[in-house]
Amino acid sequence: MGERKRGPAEGGTIGSIAVILAAGIVLGVAFNAIGLESRPGWGIPWIGKDRAEGLVSLDGAIEGLPEIPDLEEPMEADLARVRLFHEAGAALFVDAREVEEYSAGHIAGAISMPYDVAAGEPELMENLDPGGRPIVVYCGGGECELSISLAYEMIFAGHTKVLIYTGGYDEWAGAGQPIASGVAEGS
Amino acid sequence: MEAIQSVLRHSWTVRACRVGIGVIFGYAGLAKIGDLAVFAMQIHNFRMVPVSTENVMAMTLPWIEIVAALALILHIRARPAALLSTALLVVFTIAVGVAYLRGLDIDCGCFGTADGAQVGLRKLLENAGMIAVGAIASLREAKGSG
Repeated sequence: MGERKRGPAEGGTIGSIAVILAAGIVLGVAFNAIGLESRPGWGIPWIGKDRAEGLVSLDGAIEGLPEIPDLEEPMEADLARVRLFHEAGAALFVDAREVEEYSAGHIAGAISMPYDVAAGEPELMENLDPGGRPIVVYCGGGECELSISLAYEMIFAGHTKVLIYTGGYDEWAGAGQPIASGVAEGS
Repeated sequence: MEAIQSVLRHSWTVRACRVGIGVIFGYAGLAKIGDLAVFAMQIHNFRMVPVSTENVMAMTLPWIEIVAALALILHIRARPAALLSTALLVVFTIAVGVAYLRGLDIDCGCFGTADGAQVGLRKLLENAGMIAVGAIASLREAKGSG
């Protein structure tokens, strides 16, 4: 091996690290700026926000099934509205919890898609066919954020009508709504 | 002892370790830039940084990894790049360790969604190994051994 140029002296080490960091930051910001301008956009907002707080709720009078427009972010739905979809079979219910929790009890007809599994295998979501209906994602309710995370992944995977039932399984079961148990996927 | 030192500091050993870390960092960075939104969410799941800064981290961290990788592989400012990479590995490992201790059942996000690895003991061991390689890569090459 030929003699190569020696690295910078000790004093230059910190400087070189700073150069690498600066180059990375500049490239990252530039890359994201391009992503924000592109159509379809793949850049992300400059300031992160808490998704649980920023959720828009499906509201308006409850008269028949609400129309869900094509969304760029999932919307939150309450028990009263989610019930309408469930009764009419007008939505695909997706359980974002672990398989064991799903087996122990889930919203009747819901399919199991644990967030942990889906995040590593986006094709699961891409291949999911809700038959033109909205997808209603839920988890355990309360502090549970799996449904929010999975709902965003659904949007990234190309689905446009994604609702989050934040009340979750606990509220649903507590309200005496139809539930099922076991691992068999509902239809 | 001296023999071990001379092997570790041999320029071939040090350079091989630098290229190894470089390849890993390059892959990790490229795997993340394909889906920044997912990576931002993976950072969020660690719950370690303020929510408002998560996106800036998500957009810059992969590129810092890529630039460091290029420096390591192309042998330009390689030792500072090795020091930086090793420091980053230590920070990542602490993050994984803390998440594991807190019982968070989350994706590592180390390679974006390219691996579905969860935070856990296995990941900690992998990282410990990479830190060891990074430490060798950070050594000053022995004079006259190249």
